[in-house]
Amino acid sequence: MTVEAPQLKTNYTQFLLPVFIALALVYFIVLAKSAIFPFILSAALAYIISPGIKYFEVRGIKRTYAVAALYIVAGALIFVMVYVIAHLLSFEIESLQQSWPAYADKLQRFIQDHNSRLVQSYPLLSSLKLDEKLAHLLAAVPPLLLALLPALTMLFIVPFITFFMLLGGAGILDYVIDHLPARHAEIVLHVASRIDASLGNYLRGIITEAFIIFLIAFTGLMLMGINYAAVIAILIGFSSLIPYLGAIVGAVVSSIVAFLQFGTFLPILKILLFFGGIRFFDDWVLQPYIMRKAVELNPAIILLALMAGADIGGLWGVVFSIPVTCIIKEILQIAVELQETEFRWKPKPQPTRISIPYT
Amino acid sequence: MTLFSFLNRIYDEEILSKLGFLKGIRLFEGIRRRQLIHVLESLQERTYLKGETIFAQGDIGRALFIVFSGKIALSRLDPATQKSEVIAEVHPGEFFGEMALLEEMPRTATAHAMEDTKVFMLFKIKLESLLFARPHIGVNIATQLAKIMSARLRDMLEKPEE
Repeated sequence: MTVEAPQLKTNYTQFLLPVFIALALVYFIVLAKSAIFPFILSAALAYIISPGIKYFEVRGIKRTYAVAALYIVAGALIFVMVYVIAHLLSFEIESLQQSWPAYADKLQRFIQDHNSRLVQSYPLLSSLKLDEKLAHLLAAVPPLLLALLPALTMLFIVPFITFFMLLGGAGILDYVIDHLPARHAEIVLHVASRIDASLGNYLRGIITEAFIIFLIAFTGLMLMGINYAAVIAILIGFSSLIPYLGAIVGAVVSSIVAFLQFGTFLPILKILLFFGGIRFFDDWVLQPYIMRKAVELNPAIILLALMAGADIGGLWGVVFSIPVTCIIKEILQIAVELQETEFRWKPKPQPTRISIPYT
Repeated sequence: MTLFSFLNRIYDEEILSKLGFLKGIRLFEGIRRRQLIHVLESLQERTYLKGETIFAQGDIGRALFIVFSGKIALSRLDPATQKSEVIAEVHPGEFFGEMALLEEMPRTATAHAMEDTKVFMLFKIKLESLLFARPHIGVNIATQLAKIMSARLRDMLEKPEE
């Protein structure tokens, strides 16, 4: 039986509609940036959770029930955690509120003291007006904390949107792939599964890592008897989502708290050693184990990504900079490979040739 | 509502039929039913409509295809006559394109759907992660792949010259 070889003609008008839709979408995103933002966060969250749902799905539990069960269990867990932490926090925040003016005063006096000494020896420093800047900074701390409150509404909106995204699953992606020319489905799925492999491993890795660091920091600070251990540990946990930041934030914040609490330098030394230990544990034990399947990023690239992220999108830009860099790196790698194989930049790959015949 | 009917409602029976189907695939021989769940997790489903091209001769191969339902025709272009000839038909339970799992080389045939066909795709990257994360399954698949290759080669050698 013979069939005619299919003749494929490229007709560029077929791309008009998809390109138009894509452009309209980009324009809409630019216009409604702030409305889109919770959806991006939710999509990221749904993406992180979805392997958990798939775990139950391939074991025969229907998606709707798996998602509902996950929400009920997670809701119960979060309720218990929030209850316990709020119990600890409310006490700590209250005492922080009461003692903040005294602490600020103490800190200011300490800096002024050292500043005046420094200025005496290095008159040049007086032009920097460090003490004035510090007073301004210290006064700004409580309003800054209050400014974080609107972000709390996100805590309700995001899980809500995520729920519906999880119910839908990869429906949108499947729809797009189903409507692509069939011959390109293989390559599109190949690219998607490669990005998924490295990005998914990175995201799940970094969240596990942040949680472990939070637990270690909380235990350590509690044992050392530092005030506000819970608050500091949560801060460390969250800042661990950004490479290198966790240990630095932890060391600085707890050193300040320890100095205000004890007034001597010995606890600070202990804290610095403790966070140095966490940093090494993270680098030598956690990361090689958790991140072994994720994309490898050069520290210089991480730094560039963080700074560029801050420039483009502020705090959230920093949070998203590393995942986005992962995607870009994977896409670049795939693009180079495609140039070499599909578009024949390099000579056609040669199959492995073995001279000894099959015996 | 009884417990049984509730369980029946949340349980997706399609999974059972898919697992049963995978159990009968030669590539997955020797993998226990429980472990087939991990295989199913790594597979990608897609339906090709009648007449759609799955891949063309010369495309770089990235995945192995297992036919779940429907029928696929594999055809090869004869460079001399510029006519392509159907060299094989792939039926449910059979698979093709396994070369892509070994090396990313151009496909040696064109595959198109002869009717609406549902396939499972196993991508090289997924097989690699199975090999590392679940060596038992990965090694099993690799062994079967080697056996199939060897059988093909033997078949070619033993076939009388045309």
